[in-house]
Formats: sequence, structure tokens, C-alpha cells
Amino acid sequence: MPTVPILMPQLGESIAEATVIRLGVAVGDSVRADQEIIEVETNKAVMGVTTVCNGIVSEIRAQEGISYSVGTLLGLLEVTDDEVARTGVETLEALEEKRNSSQNTSPDRGEANLHFALDADDAYEESPAVVPSVKGLPVPTGTMGAHYISPRMRARMDDLGLREADISAVAGTGAGGRVTVEDLERFLDYLEAWPSAHASPMRLAVADAMRRSWTRPLATVGLPALLDRVLEHRRSHSPKPGLTLYMLRAFALAIAENPTTAGYLIGDKVVHPRSFDIGVAVQIDDGVVVPVMRKVDQKPLRELIDEYDDLVTRARRRRLSEDDCRGGIATVTNFGTFGLTLGTPIPLPNETLILGIGAGVKKPVWSSEVEAFLPATIADIFLTFDHRVVDGGGAGVLLARVSELLKHPEKL
Amino acid sequence: MSVTYIDAIREAQATLLRDDPRVFLYGQDIATFGGAFKATKGLADEFPGRVFDSPLSEDAMLGLAVGAAIEGMRPIIEMQFADFSSIAFNQIVNQAATHFYRTGMPIPLTVRLPSGGTAGSGPFHSQSMEGIYAQYPGLVVLTPASVSDAYHMLIDGVALEDPVIFCEHKFLYRWLKAKSINGDHLPIGQARIVRTGKHATVVAYSAMVHEAVRAAERLHEDGWEIEVVDLRSIKPLDIDTVLASVARTGRLLAVGEAFPWGGVTAEVVSRVTEEGFHLLDAPPQRLNSRDTPVPYHPKLWAAHRPTPESICEALRKLLSF
Amino acid sequence: MLKARILENKLSSLYKAGKIVGGVYLGRGQEAVSATLGTALVQGRDFFAPLIRDQAGRTAFGEPLIDCTRTYLGSALGPMRGRDGNIHRGRPELGMPAMISHLGAQVPVVAGMLFARRLRGDLDGRVGATCIGDGASSTGAFHEGLNLAAVEKLPLVLIIANNQFAYSTPNHRQFACTDLVEKARGYGIGGFSVDGTDLLACASVIPEAVRRAREGGGPQLVVAHMLRLSGHGEHDDGSYVPETVRRGHLGRDCIEVAMRQLVENGIAGVDEILAWQDQFAEEVQKAVAQAQQEAPPDPYQEDWTALATRFPLPHCNSNAQPACP
Repeated sequence: MPTVPILMPQLGESIAEATVIRLGVAVGDSVRADQEIIEVETNKAVMGVTTVCNGIVSEIRAQEGISYSVGTLLGLLEVTDDEVARTGVETLEALEEKRNSSQNTSPDRGEANLHFALDADDAYEESPAVVPSVKGLPVPTGTMGAHYISPRMRARMDDLGLREADISAVAGTGAGGRVTVEDLERFLDYLEAWPSAHASPMRLAVADAMRRSWTRPLATVGLPALLDRVLEHRRSHSPKPGLTLYMLRAFALAIAENPTTAGYLIGDKVVHPRSFDIGVAVQIDDGVVVPVMRKVDQKPLRELIDEYDDLVTRARRRRLSEDDCRGGIATVTNFGTFGLTLGTPIPLPNETLILGIGAGVKKPVWSSEVEAFLPATIADIFLTFDHRVVDGGGAGVLLARVSELLKHPEKL
Repeated sequence: MSVTYIDAIREAQATLLRDDPRVFLYGQDIATFGGAFKATKGLADEFPGRVFDSPLSEDAMLGLAVGAAIEGMRPIIEMQFADFSSIAFNQIVNQAATHFYRTGMPIPLTVRLPSGGTAGSGPFHSQSMEGIYAQYPGLVVLTPASVSDAYHMLIDGVALEDPVIFCEHKFLYRWLKAKSINGDHLPIGQARIVRTGKHATVVAYSAMVHEAVRAAERLHEDGWEIEVVDLRSIKPLDIDTVLASVARTGRLLAVGEAFPWGGVTAEVVSRVTEEGFHLLDAPPQRLNSRDTPVPYHPKLWAAHRPTPESICEALRKLLSF
Repeated sequence: MLKARILENKLSSLYKAGKIVGGVYLGRGQEAVSATLGTALVQGRDFFAPLIRDQAGRTAFGEPLIDCTRTYLGSALGPMRGRDGNIHRGRPELGMPAMISHLGAQVPVVAGMLFARRLRGDLDGRVGATCIGDGASSTGAFHEGLNLAAVEKLPLVLIIANNQFAYSTPNHRQFACTDLVEKARGYGIGGFSVDGTDLLACASVIPEAVRRAREGGGPQLVVAHMLRLSGHGEHDDGSYVPETVRRGHLGRDCIEVAMRQLVENGIAGVDEILAWQDQFAEEVQKAVAQAQQEAPPDPYQEDWTALATRFPLPHCNSNAQPACP
């Protein structure tokens, strides 16, 4: 026969327990539905615990004078199946099954008796959770490679003087692969094990300039330039102009013919050159400096020699003033001096163009006049440009013009 | 021998009545009957002429308290339920709260609000009013979460010169027990870190502190260390302690039982974002009740308010950011 | 009442000259009732919570003119220091709480002041009085407050100045009883009805109500009937008041009635009254002049806190012991 529990009822809001003051029935007694069988006292009132259906008392667990918390099993009724069906009461068997399927974690329940009540703990075990009011997650990025930097990451990076480039080596564990502060701290800890030294101010300055420049879409094109005429011209002059100076002059003239190629894009505006002042990259210890030659388009080559030598000398001695390096619209870098034949230089962040010169190499060049290969000195020259301002065609035209101008050094 | 949260509230009132002749209690059914929750049980006998049954007039009860405070008394008004304080709203926010600023004379009264939900209490016996009162200048709003705080904060609150809204949680009344009434005693206006951690901060108050601690215990099994801050006092709000915690963890979840629009959790998130933006490694999160009246049936009620499960879920999302 | 009328005429004129920030709310027509009440009370012993049209009562109770002119003219030295204006001023420390705009709200406050004195054992023949209008008799606060005062048997005198219109709402849209004094019976308290335009009638009824309260008779309700002789505020011309009402008995100016009564009963001569007028006008002028010369509140010097407690509080060093742990 099914058994139906007699439970300590919830006898008021916030009432957690009640004391049994009188047991009105004994084991074996028949009871009717709604009969008051146990008298209990809360700190609010005295009340009777009633039965939920007709049956026979099969067990009494409660004792007079003892307090039981709400939901405690006080006793059992033996009830017929018909009575269970008629009243729809929950049987002990059904309740125990339900109880076993959920966890009890209420801290004050460890020592308690059987509990069955519908209190908060039981109820929320199986409830659909209330959702956070702010739907802020996940925010950062759906695409790989797009960096999300949290305010805290930003602050920590500022603390350490780090830029996004510095954390490119950190594999993020956050949402969308973002780098969390913990990832960063782990990375910094890892770096502790490696030898390190402070970067020089010059190194940091170059790093900063290159980082800023690299935020733009830069592209590089190149072509071979014949240098024999230039070298010939150079040999016949004293003092000898440096090879770079020819490039500088040719570059200035080429830009002056079509100044928009050296324009600088700011928002929706292209800023045009005011004066064709061209910088020259000079490698020094632990960095590069770029002194600027003024109005290169307006001065013939020979007039530029002294100015050039002076700037380069002072650059190597680190005696340049700030003014010496200010106001350039483009730069020439001759990495050929290091024996390099190919390079993709990066323009200064405030310039759109940089002309790179590879090392001159003797190569056989087909001569249609003599129908034979003739030896020639060829250097590849490269133009890196901000693709927002200049396209490959424009860059190609400019570079070809430089190459063309180099064929007539006497006119430079 | 354990002490419950409501014992602490009763003892605090007994202490106050014993130590301060200016204190009297005024409220519905609080004298011989001892109050709907028995928070004043026996006090009318113990302190004759100091504990009064009031007519069923929340507005007039508060008006009386303001007048009595003007004349040098320190009334403690018991609202039978926090929900009913809406009837006294005018006297609280317009009379009591503005009085010091307007006239220079402080109004040291205390309103006890049996607050928050319990199973089966329904829309009009379950509300959390702290955010509404905190919105008004001139009120101190307290939300004790421990037995010892219930005791000390009531005594300290009554000692303040300002009107105090004392939000005591009905669920904690008999559920929360402590070995002694005399725990750690912090001043009003200072939050407490009830559990230390390093991965995320949960800011909670009142009954939600216990739910947050349970959630933190569960996540501990997965290796997460969750810091739990008990605000204790909603106004003034100890944002420094919260910021210090967020500085350690970088992640914030504010949990409150009140309705989701605005309120305490919104204030916490807003203040942390304003003052500690650089501390945040993830968007600060809030978890409140649902935006409906508090439902009656325990099954609905339990899904209406934040629970350890929903706090865990919110924290897991936060931790995965 | 004459002084109040002269003061208020001056305020009205200053308002129309743009000297006053905010509204001006006058008690014209209510002076006989208000002044009689203020005279029946003793400052330092009794409590008086004046409402919007109680300038006469305030003056009679002992409020100096300068408190009024400072508040209206925005002097930082006024009782409200620029934090509240016009008729919201009060001196709670002198038994005169500052009203809030929510009508009926002062009823339980005065009850609480009396309740506190009783608890302290020095009720000592004190009474507390407050005034409301016919409109406030419809509020819950009025009902709750008066009922509570009745339950607590407090010596509260509540005057309802029924001036026929709550702003523009006439009596018949406000209540359905014949005379508001009928409510007294429902609350189980004493009730009086009086012609508020008649100073001698007021002077016999209102002090009697105060006496009964003072002698332990519990709350007393006095309903005084009159017409508001100006708009709700000085921004309002009261055009909704029918001409017949203006010309009727209640439209009488209680000041003119009072002067006639004084002369006819040989209480004061015409010359004497004219001399009072001159004297009061001079006092008012002085109070206005002084307040006008004083500095307004300075937002840079303002203490922008609504709490008396200065947080953060120091750390707790002593634990209060529970009565019985």
C-alpha cells in the first residue's frame, strides 16, 4: 500500500521551524482528510498539522517538545491506491524519487532529517536561470586577427609601454582568441627566463616610427635601373657626388613633375607637398636617422654635394638638429651599400613614399644595336608607397621616370 | 546555541531600548503580538511604554517618526513588509530625506523594511526597495547579510543622525544562523570581502551574498577563485572596496535581487566603469531578478531571482571572455 | 493679521517687480483664522506647522518678518539658506516645522512632535496645530494623520481653511459632505465650524478648540469658511471664481470686517488702526530692505551634502553587547 508523508508545513513567511507540542494520533489510528493530528507552535502561533487524505497512521517520527524544520518528515500514513487517485496526493515513493534526482546543498541541512518541502533550495535546482541584464558577452571579435584590447589590457600595456605589436607573440585564451591580462602576465613571466637588455632611445624611436607607419597599407614595386651613365658621370666630377645623391635628385625631379604621388592622406583630404624636400636614410649605431635635403628639385646636382656631405657627416656623428630632419615629403634609402639587391623599405609615418636602391651588379644586357649581350651595371630600385594615396600604376610611372632621369646624369 | 538573523534584529532593538531612552518602536502588530515576524517579540513587556502598535497607516507612521525625531527622539518604524513602505514613500523621501538639507536639523529615524523574496510570498510581500530609496539624497540605506551585521548595523544605524532605511531580508530571518551575535564589526559605509579570489569579483548584498558564495564554492571545484564583496551598505556605497577587488580580478559581476532596470547593480557597474575602466578585462555584468512582478509560486519565484546556478552561469560567461 | 496683509501686499508688489525667484502664495482672506490660531499658541511651548496661507499665523506665533523676507528674496541668511523657498520655510527647533508641498503631510508630523513630548514626559499642556485647505482634506495623509492623532489622543488642533477652491477646483469636486466638520465625528474628535471672515467668531472658536486640546480633549478639528481673496499664487488671477461668490458673504475681506469690529466694539479707534498700519509698513520696509542687501547663497560655498553624517566613518573600536545573547 502506498505511504503518504506527514510533513512539517510552512506555517508563515520566514518561518523555518516549529515545535511539536502535542501528538494527537498514534500508530494504527485511522485518520480522515483535513484532520488536525499534530499540534505545533511557531514563534508566531500555535497551529494544527492536518492530513491530506484518509488513511492509517503507520509511523510517527516526531516527538513532543522537539523543533523540526519546515519540510521534515513527521510521520507516515498508509493510504489505499484509490485514495491516492481520488485526492491526487504525492506519495513518499514519488517524493523520494524526486529528491534523489536533485542535490541538496543548503548549509543547514546536513544534520536535518528527511526534507521534502518546496523551499527555495529545491525549487531553484531545476529552474531556468535568470539571465544577466547586460548582454555584454561575448563582445570582442568574431574574426581572427582583429585585436580586441580590453580597457585593463590597454592600461597594463600603457604601464609597460607596450603596443599591439609587442603582444603579437602572445596566444590569447580569451573569447575570439583575444589576449587577456592573464595571458599577458604569463607571457611576461615567460620572458623573465630570457636574457634581455633595455632598448636604446634611438631604437625605441625607430621602433615607434616603423610601428606607426605600418598601420597603413604599404606596397612595394621595383625595376632595374642602368647605372653606367651615372657611374661614368660621377667619375668625371670632383668632388664626386654620392650615388645616393643622383637618386635623390632624380627622385625629387620625378615627384615635382607629378606632386600628387607624394600627397599625404589625412581623413578625406590629401595634403600636397609644399616644397620638394627629400630625406636620406643614414644608418648609424642602433638606428637610422633621416636628415632632409631642401628644395632638391630646384638645385642642380653639384650644388647639392656640400649640403649632402655635411648632413651625412653630421648624421653619423649624431650632430643633427631637429630641424635637419623635419619637413621631408619622401625619403631615399640606399641599402645597396650593405650589398643588398632587394628590399621593401618602409616610408616614414608622415611620408607616403620611400625610394630604395639595391646594390649595383654587373649583368649582361642585350643590346639591339650591336645584336649582342653587353656588360652593364644594374641596380634594382624600389618604391614603397601608401596604397591609399598611390596605386601600382602611379608608382610604376614614378619609378620609371626616376630610372629614365638616371640615364641622363648630366641633366641632373 | 545558535542565533538567527531575526534574533539579532530583536536583540539589537532590545539593546537600543535599554541603552537609549530616545529610542521607541512604532509599527503594526509589534507590541503584544511581537510583530508579523516576531522581530519585537517580548519587547513591549520588557520595555513598557516604548513599543507601540500603530494604526494601519504607513504614511502617518513615518510622519509621526519625523515629528518625533524633530523633538529629539530616535524612532524605529517597522514596516510589516518592505512593499508597504510605498504608502510611506512621501514621508520618507520628501519629508525625512530632505529635512536636514532644507532646515539643518537632522532626522535620526530608522525604518525597518522586511525585504526580499521568500517562497510563496508573491508580488506584494517580496519586493526589494533599496535601490529606490538609495536614489534619493538624504537617506542611508543598509542591507545586512550576516547575523552579526544585522545586529551591529541596526545599532549603528539608529545612532546615525540621518534617516536610515534598514533592509532586512526575510529569507535570512530564520534561515541564517550564527554561533554568536558578535562577529566582525565594520563601520556603516564599508563593504566586506566575504570570500577572496583572483579570477572574478561578485558584488552582492543582503541574501544574494549567500547565493554568490554558493556559486563561488561550485566554481572553486573547477579551479576558479571568485571574490565575493558584500556591500553591506547601499548608500553610502563603498566603491573603493569594489574597485580594489576589481583591480585584483579584472572582472565584475554585480548581483541583486531587485528588479533589473537601474538600481544597485547598475550603480555598481556604472561607478566601476567610470572610475575603474582601466581595471576591467571584460565587460562588467549584472544579474538581477526578471523584469516582472515577483511571482507567487515557488517554482516561478526561484526562476525569477538570481540563484547559485544563474550566478555560476553568468560567471562562467564572464570568465570565458 | 494686519501686519501679515501689509507684508504680503509688499511681497506681491516685489513679485510683480521681478524681485522674487519662484512663486508667491498669499494668505489674503485667511488672516483672521490664521492670526487667531497663531495668537492662541505659545511659541516655546506649542507646535505650529503653518501651511501655504499662514503668514498671519506665522507672524502671530512669533516668526520675525526678516525670516519671511530673507526667504522670499533669496538671502543666504534666511532660515532655509536658499535651499528652499517662500512658504516652505520653518524653524523646527522653535516648534515650527517647515512644510513640504505634499498636502496633509504635516498632520502626522505635528502628531509625532506631540507624541515625542509625551514619551519624554513633558507634554505638559502643549498643543500642536497645523492648517490645511479644503483640497488636502481629500488626501490619504490627512486621513491617516488625523486618525493616528485620534488613536493616540494627541492634543492636535487641525484647522481646515475651506476657502472654496483648491487651486481652481471648487468644493463640489472635492468632497460630498455638507460641511467638512462632519468628518470630526467619524474620527471621534472634537469639531468646530466657524465663519473665517469674522475675526470675533474666530477669536471665540479657535482658542476654545486649542483649550480643549490642551486640557486633554484629544484632537480638535476646526473648519473655517472663507474665500481666497487672491489667486492660488501671484501668477494666478483666480478668474475661475464666480462673481456671485466674490460678492457673497464669504467674499468679504476679513481685514475690513475686523477693523469695523474693532471700532464698533470700542477695542481700537480708527486713528489707532491707521497708526498700526504706518508702523507695520515701516517694519515691513525695513525687513525687505535688509534682506535685499544681503548676499544670495554661493554655490561654491554650498555644502553639497544631504546627510548629517560625514562618511567614511572611523573604524569600530567597541562592540555593543547584546542584551541577552
